Amino acid sequence: MNPIDLLTPAGATLALLPELLLTAGALVVLLVMSWRHRTAGDSLLAGWLSLLSLAVAGAGLAYLWVSGATPAGAPAMIALDGFRYVSGALILICAAATVLLSLRYLEREQLLAPEFYVLLLLATVGLLLMPGAQDLMVFFLGLETMSVAVYVLAGYDRRSPQSAEAALKYFLIGAFASAFLLYGIALIYGATGTTNLVAIGAKLSTAPLSLMASLGLGLLLIGLGFKVAAVPFHMWTPDVYEGAPTPVTGFMAAAVKAAGFAGLARILVECFPAAGTQWKPIVLVLSIATMVLGNLVALSQRSLKRMLAYSSIAHAGYLLAAIWPGSQLGYSALMLYLMAYGVTTLASFGLLSALGRDGERDVTLDSIAGLGAARPGIAAALSICLFSLLGFPGTLGFIGKWYILTAVLEQHQAVLAVVLVLTSVVSAGYYLPVIMAMYMKPSRVPLAHTEVGLPPVATWVIALSVLAILVLGVIPISVLDLAGQSAQALLGATGRAIAAP
Amino acid sequence: MAELLRSIGYDRWIITALLALPLLGVLPILWAPARQAKWIALWVTLIEFVLSLGLWWAYDPSSGGMQFEIVVPWLPMWGIAYRVGIDGISLFMVLLSTLLMPVSVLGSWRYITERERGFYSLMLTLLTGMLGVFVALDLFLFYVFWEVMLIPMYFIIGIWGGSNRLYAAIKFFLYTFVGSLLMLVAILVMVWQVAAVRGSPSFAYQDLLENAGRLGDSAPWLFAAFALAFAIKVPVFPLHTWLPDAHVEAPTAGSVLLAGVLLKMGTYGFLRFAVPFFPGVAHSPAVTSLVVTLAVVGVIYGALVAMVQPDVKKLVAYSSVSHLGFAMLGIWAATLQSVQGALMVMIAHGFSTSALFLLIGMLYERRHTRLIDAFGGIARVVPVFSLIFTVTALASIGLPGLNGFVGEFLVLLGSFGPHPIATGIATTGVIFAAVYLLWALQRIIFNPLVGSENESLKDLSMRELWVVVPLVVGMVWLGLYPKPVLDRMEASANHYLQLARPGLETSAAPAIAAETAGNQP
Repeated sequence: MNPIDLLTPAGATLALLPELLLTAGALVVLLVMSWRHRTAGDSLLAGWLSLLSLAVAGAGLAYLWVSGATPAGAPAMIALDGFRYVSGALILICAAATVLLSLRYLEREQLLAPEFYVLLLLATVGLLLMPGAQDLMVFFLGLETMSVAVYVLAGYDRRSPQSAEAALKYFLIGAFASAFLLYGIALIYGATGTTNLVAIGAKLSTAPLSLMASLGLGLLLIGLGFKVAAVPFHMWTPDVYEGAPTPVTGFMAAAVKAAGFAGLARILVECFPAAGTQWKPIVLVLSIATMVLGNLVALSQRSLKRMLAYSSIAHAGYLLAAIWPGSQLGYSALMLYLMAYGVTTLASFGLLSALGRDGERDVTLDSIAGLGAARPGIAAALSICLFSLLGFPGTLGFIGKWYILTAVLEQHQAVLAVVLVLTSVVSAGYYLPVIMAMYMKPSRVPLAHTEVGLPPVATWVIALSVLAILVLGVIPISVLDLAGQSAQALLGATGRAIAAP
Repeated sequence: MAELLRSIGYDRWIITALLALPLLGVLPILWAPARQAKWIALWVTLIEFVLSLGLWWAYDPSSGGMQFEIVVPWLPMWGIAYRVGIDGISLFMVLLSTLLMPVSVLGSWRYITERERGFYSLMLTLLTGMLGVFVALDLFLFYVFWEVMLIPMYFIIGIWGGSNRLYAAIKFFLYTFVGSLLMLVAILVMVWQVAAVRGSPSFAYQDLLENAGRLGDSAPWLFAAFALAFAIKVPVFPLHTWLPDAHVEAPTAGSVLLAGVLLKMGTYGFLRFAVPFFPGVAHSPAVTSLVVTLAVVGVIYGALVAMVQPDVKKLVAYSSVSHLGFAMLGIWAATLQSVQGALMVMIAHGFSTSALFLLIGMLYERRHTRLIDAFGGIARVVPVFSLIFTVTALASIGLPGLNGFVGEFLVLLGSFGPHPIATGIATTGVIFAAVYLLWALQRIIFNPLVGSENESLKDLSMRELWVVVPLVVGMVWLGLYPKPVLDRMEASANHYLQLARPGLETSAAPAIAAETAGNQP
């Protein structure tokens, strides 16, 4: 145990070590780039430096985690618990994978401005703050830091009108969502007189929610609903995911979603420990709507990238189903599913970027026909990823889905469980045709896939992800433990909050 | 023999060995050159078969419980373990799977010419999946095997199948997937109920079985979820539409394994899980009359539709619907004869229908058509083929002295007491079977010889004889002397009946009498 007094400057610095290290890393990369920003080699240098920064930030996080840092004294701005560490590690891993997948991608797509990596690092700083924030203002700050960086990343391919459209759409809707969120925060502040999560929780745990606090809760859910792409706040997702450069899409789907859901879980647990009767029905409806709509619309997509965008909406629905129980098992399932989905979706988008030659918009079911014979490795990896997204036994995706179902059924909510499995069946209707096209249809032109290939670094990242999907799908004890610990840490905080006078 | 096997610890490693060997066999197939793939697959499956033969002697027929049990913890906090075992019901399913696999590999020898490595790797994976379904005694493990087995079959149909293979493959996948996911929900609900009683969750078959009496109001729903998954697989009448597509489009080996093994997973599921978990629901009057009606409709409907098929493979596919209807009737009649009969039908169908699919595959390799009209009088050109085809068809019809008769006779005998009218109608299914098969036989191998292509047909090669002769020997043996098989399943069938009809000894006789009386006009 390593108590840290968060009210002293030294303590606060120590508690924010990963974020501060990463910010410093981003600034160093920016500085180096002022001199070297012309050639492909410079871009690679920026990439490797960013990876180093992420590793250093990871070391900072590991220090806090291993030393068992705990807050001493009054509730403060940032949490020091397992939930923050596990989500932080997940986000850092996603960011590192994104960097590695981008190295050659940027070169191929002629996106040779090394600021890409700086923006990615700054977005990661914001993401790290979200699940760790112990104060609504810190959460909002993290969210905005992340958002502004990701707006730019989405529009990074400035020669492509779709990319520009994605950035603009994301920016406008994001601003809109931030307004909702901020208004919700303001109302909650009005109702409780504080923005600290634990203090709010202490105020709101005794009586039923006042009208003002209920409105604040509703607006918070709407704002976060936009960010995690829950139906009916999902309209921006397909266009943005499709228009953004593919590694950025993967980053948005994996890391941004993880931070959004982790932050949502913490806010619900710590601010509204007694208001389950109010937010649970909303989450239930959102979850069912998201699963149904995301899966059904994904069925009719021809472009693989757009299909994966709709599928990511559907997965937001499954994650909301994991939020719904509000139990330790539910938050374990949430964390587990975020890990499973993050690994799988990053690898999927990484593979997709290997398939695209004239931009991934053109990767359709027809264009990947015959890939299984021409590029067996890529086809097999993509198939495994898709089976994992489908939640098929033997993959990590199944373990995640099984955990969500278990958590939902613990509360005897059979309707949600049945909707979840039936929409999963629907999802087979769009994942399987991809596999079918790769293996069971001949390619339309001879030598169609000769140019398809993965650069060595990306190959390693994807091979490692696929291995993780398979191995952890059969021997999941370690990730189950990790998810369980983080959920316990999260709920341990409420235990304190409710006990506090 | 049993002592010898025990001295080498056979009962402690055999199930794990059977599950692991095919998966290990995949590795050399992927390493070796493609033309070696079928040889490796053949050797692996033959070794597997020889290994599994020991079960015949090592199995103790006097005990109806699980034997050769192995328990290794997997996810202890959830009560999930690698729990496997074999009883008199799964014993024959395991032996059937291990026998049909080398036969299918040999039957694919010439048929599969593309991507051989992939094909034979998938076949071996499928073998592990099938065996896993039959030996799993942990519902989590069972579910994993039940689903994992889908992937190889999906690829086998989708890559090496006929012209409409994509449609057939996805239909097969989706039908099974709907049922199995709902079953997963039901399993998890039951696990939580067990957890409420025991204090910790458990997926063990035995624990869920003991929970059977405490299900309360949720039992009908849970039973429905299990029954749907298994009924799709059997397939029970209105849920059978995936079957003709999948059987017809699949390559020969795929059809053989679909008919020979995969369909039995449905009936096995009823015997092992759906009925013992929910005996009260399964044998309630409403469910009984529904299932018995659907079974009889399946018997008649399958036979009638088979009769009018121009494609002989489709004919055999529909005949499976008819045969499995007998098995369902036998399971639901829940008497010792009928349950043993249902098991015999399952085994017999595995032999005769697989042999029919293999023989049709051989015809197809020669003529590239399966239309009955394209043939005629070929008995004069290919006498050996015709002899074997005739014997197999007669076995499938249920001619006394061949295997089909034993099962259907026992089912009808055992079911007549509880369901006389349904059994009476089902009996006509045997007649219809004679009609469609003998008629097809007449049009294919008798009648006048027409067409130059038919005149130059080659008779069976040595390899092809090796494929079908073991099955024919099995058919004759099971038809003439089924006693050793029946002995081995009797104790387990009794055990099943105790689970399925608690208090059978005391209440069964009056219940049957009352029902019979009620059915009399």
